Amino acid sequence: MRAYLSVFRLRRRLETQYRGAALGGIICQVFFGLILIALYRALYAGKPQALPFPHVATYVWLQQAFFRMLLASDADLMDKIRTGGIACDLCRPVNLYGFYYARILAQKLMGSLLRGVPMLVFAALLPEGWGIAPPASLPALLLSLAALALGLGCVSALENITMAFTMRTLDFRGMQAMLNLLMMVLSGNILPLTLFPDSWQPVITALPYAQLLDAPIRLYTGEYALSRAGGILLIQAAWTAALILLGLAMWHKNQRRMIIQGG
Amino acid sequence: MSYIHVQGLNKRFIVRRKREKGSLLREKQVIPALRDVSFDIEEGELVGYIGPNGAGKSTTVKILSGILTPDSGEAAVGGRVPWKDRKEYVKHIGVVFGQRMQLWWDVPVQDSYDLLRDIYRIPEDAYRQRLNELTEALDLGPLLRTPLRLLSLGQRMRAELCGSLLHRPRLLFLDEPTIGLDAVSKLALRDFLRWENRENRTTILLTTHDMEDIAALCPRVMVLGHGQKLYDGGLSALLSRFDRTRTVTVRYDGEPDLSVLPAGLGISREGELVRLSYEPETLPTPDLLGLLQKAGAIREMTVQPQNIDRLIADMYREMDL
Repeated sequence: MRAYLSVFRLRRRLETQYRGAALGGIICQVFFGLILIALYRALYAGKPQALPFPHVATYVWLQQAFFRMLLASDADLMDKIRTGGIACDLCRPVNLYGFYYARILAQKLMGSLLRGVPMLVFAALLPEGWGIAPPASLPALLLSLAALALGLGCVSALENITMAFTMRTLDFRGMQAMLNLLMMVLSGNILPLTLFPDSWQPVITALPYAQLLDAPIRLYTGEYALSRAGGILLIQAAWTAALILLGLAMWHKNQRRMIIQGG
Repeated sequence: MSYIHVQGLNKRFIVRRKREKGSLLREKQVIPALRDVSFDIEEGELVGYIGPNGAGKSTTVKILSGILTPDSGEAAVGGRVPWKDRKEYVKHIGVVFGQRMQLWWDVPVQDSYDLLRDIYRIPEDAYRQRLNELTEALDLGPLLRTPLRLLSLGQRMRAELCGSLLHRPRLLFLDEPTIGLDAVSKLALRDFLRWENRENRTTILLTTHDMEDIAALCPRVMVLGHGQKLYDGGLSALLSRFDRTRTVTVRYDGEPDLSVLPAGLGISREGELVRLSYEPETLPTPDLLGLLQKAGAIREMTVQPQNIDRLIADMYREMDL
């Protein structure tokens, strides 16, 4: 019995060591609550029936197929930061931001292709209303692929920013949980952004998270007319550039104050 | 100026710790990791860097490999300041951390090397040539197509060493490279380091707790304690300062008369063997030999220096580390 009590006590004490994580958890959960309420408010206020259902099904399938693009953090990379393995990479004549950006990009690309393609084939075989609808037109398909590529660049930049936060706090869970939640909601993964009230649309579609999958999907379904495609791609490119610059600045600053702990 | 020049290096760390068990408050503590450390190393030297855990060895290595910026002091390696223009500087150094993996875990070793080739922009010819050379010297041939995770610790360390030397660094930092290795792997690793140092005139700074490594490899050794440099010179000169006692083991023909020996020699018997320890400074070895012969007919005898680890432990204790 003593062994169980003792391990209970030790683990309890360990938990109090992570005060930062606890605070992060509190903020995260409060935030989660607020976001979910906002989500349901949006659903109630919007007029979901106005949208043809096959569009919604298509939206959902494309979101699921490219899920790995959104929520796939490189566990190796996180470990490197936590355990100090990053020291080895610091001894390389490369820009760490670029080095890690390339890693993240490759993982997200291959991860989502490997899962996405078979899933889309499966979804295409389902009956209408359950499955994925064909693209609005050939140009719409091509433009949505271009938008998807930009979305990939954008999400990799976002993840590299999460990484930069991790280097500050060493414990990635709090910050990551919060950023991931933001991403899931604002990218339309939990509830398609198309179902949000019209008054919300100008704001949520302008945010960086809408550039990841929402923009490519709306081009695919034809909800964004071809005439608007140029503007959409421009917004995506602008966000990608801005986020890369922000990430670069954060990494640069981190590197100056970095300490690799332990021997 | 020497190849590595370090002058008055200082680094402090701030550690937060609990005031007492169960307390929710934490206090800041400033730990001086390096205090006014200075040294010079010439190109092609093989220098051992020793000291107890927490002495500041790793801090020095981190500063010299450009990862950490010191609070004050100067350092230059080949005329470059490590923490300025890190990207340019690290092209010329190689680092092996005995407890950290640099190669990719799940891919064949060769693929990691190919990545390193691209990182350091090594021309294909030079890369092939160097890889062949290292593969042979480290006996890595059959392992190149094997994923790192399937290699034994000794094989992995050899693979890591090869990876750190592909770009022909002028300076190699080794942080406890033999940690956890078996005897055969250790010997092979030492042979290789000697070879690399001799053939390519690579300067090597070796951090280790394994005194055999130092004895086998390093003509020069620096001792660090509490962030300060305590000794810089030859290993034997260092040891002779602390190495006062010898152990002698004698096997006699028949029963010896040990009463002729002076008191205070710490005599012990182990069957036929008589073991005693003495200090050559107070009792010169030839004198002791004469006394031992008086005690009986010697059949066999060995004189041994003190165990090197014990010596170092004594040294650390005497230096109050």
